Amino acid sequence: MRNGTDRLRALNVPQQVDVELDAAWQPSVVRTRLDPHDERRVEAIGEVWRIDDEWWRVPIHRRYVEVIFESGKRVVLFEDLVAKEWWMQQPA
Amino acid sequence: MTRKSPPTSSYAACCWIPLFALRCEEARCPELAAQPCALLAPDDLRKVWQVSPLARQAGVKAGLTISQAIGLCPTLRLCEPDPVHYDQQLAQLLTALGTVSPVIEPAELGRVFVGTDGLERLHGSPEQIVEAIECGMWNAECGMSVQGHPPRHSLERSAFRTPHSAFRVGWGKGKFISWVAATRARPGHAVVVRPGKEKAFLGAQPLAVLPLDPDTHRRLRQLGLKTLADLTALPEAAVVAQFGRAGRRLWRLAAGVLAEPVVGREVPEPIVAALTFFSPVSDLGVLTQALTQLIERALKHPRRIGWRVRQVRVRAALEHGTSWMIDAVLKDPSADPSRILAPLKTRLDLAPPMKAVERLAVEFAAFVPGTTELQLFARDANAAARAGRRRALRNAVQEIKLRLRRSPLYRIIEVQPWSRIPERRYALIDYEP
Repeated sequence: MRNGTDRLRALNVPQQVDVELDAAWQPSVVRTRLDPHDERRVEAIGEVWRIDDEWWRVPIHRRYVEVIFESGKRVVLFEDLVAKEWWMQQPA
Repeated sequence: MTRKSPPTSSYAACCWIPLFALRCEEARCPELAAQPCALLAPDDLRKVWQVSPLARQAGVKAGLTISQAIGLCPTLRLCEPDPVHYDQQLAQLLTALGTVSPVIEPAELGRVFVGTDGLERLHGSPEQIVEAIECGMWNAECGMSVQGHPPRHSLERSAFRTPHSAFRVGWGKGKFISWVAATRARPGHAVVVRPGKEKAFLGAQPLAVLPLDPDTHRRLRQLGLKTLADLTALPEAAVVAQFGRAGRRLWRLAAGVLAEPVVGREVPEPIVAALTFFSPVSDLGVLTQALTQLIERALKHPRRIGWRVRQVRVRAALEHGTSWMIDAVLKDPSADPSRILAPLKTRLDLAPPMKAVERLAVEFAAFVPGTTELQLFARDANAAARAGRRRALRNAVQEIKLRLRRSPLYRIIEVQPWSRIPERRYALIDYEP
């Protein structure tokens, strides 16, 4: 029997990606882990912001970058500054 | 039409005619009995539905495709199904049984329960009641007296023109015991389970007589259980712990504790609207249009006023003497033509008539009382429409869950909408309207 909490499925779960950075340390190429050949070039960089939270348990330090791909799709990338990994998710 | 509770009976006789549809074809065309033959499925004419014993000996099984069946038995005779004929034959059988007892419950094509409470005063012992039922089945059409015991084998005078060897009858307390008894009867004979002997009779039966789904059957076999006695040797609570509410029902059926009564039908007076085409029609668009008109015409019938339609049947006479029939039970009974038409249209698209239609008839076969709840709670038409949409949505979700065994429908809920971490703000939860 399932309880109330395990019936919940998180929405907008981030997907891990590989990111190539340009000289200004901004993302220029994004590849998904599921399909490394799926290469998306960044056409424009939007807002950039940083989150430092939950210092009282497992600290979260993220650098968010809003990007627009050449295809026109808008996504949000963030770098986990603790694990040094890049993740991609839908914009809010 | 007035509302009244249907009659019930705790003691039951189960009249079973295995392979009913095939037997109907054999009765209509006696040479079929001497050769391997198979009936095609009404909803998929590429597959075999019912198989005669001779064809079964050659390896043909229900569910095979025609090419597979012919490959196994090159002399196999294939028959197109005639559901209207089978339905008429069953109706004739029910009418005949109705002369013996007022409590008749059809379970499926070829399986009918007859309530026998009170018949002992007319006929005597259970064996004599069974005899009366058999005679009633055979002689109702020609108006012979049940007590007269006229010759059984006068096929041309019988109500149901099927060889007597096709009938099997079981008698006992409740529908389950009578059904199991019927399955244990030799062709043309009856098995009577007298009161007090239920446990001994059921104990020796295999698990397969229970109404089990394949998964439960597999699990019971894995537990080493083979007979109903094995199952009832376990504590009821243990079976319930393993199989839940269904387990409780199975245990009680196996122990003979649960005896479901025969519930007589409220015989509805069907409303029929029919249309004969000037020239046979095969175009689905035209047939749909004709169906719409017939439904609207039947809805205008004065007997329908105040009642919603629960069951609707469409019959068609096809070219060259064959027939076609579809039947729909509306989960949400309605008097709205579009809602009555929707399931019929789906079935028409899935299994259209194989030949052009000469005559089309729509029959409202069962009704439920009018929309009392809506009249009480719906203040206006919009509220009524909202209630209807919600009920339809609930039914649709339930159907999806039943079909897929899980629900792919979710609702978005706020979890921590204030969170700075996007994936923590919202979540999906199972959608249960």
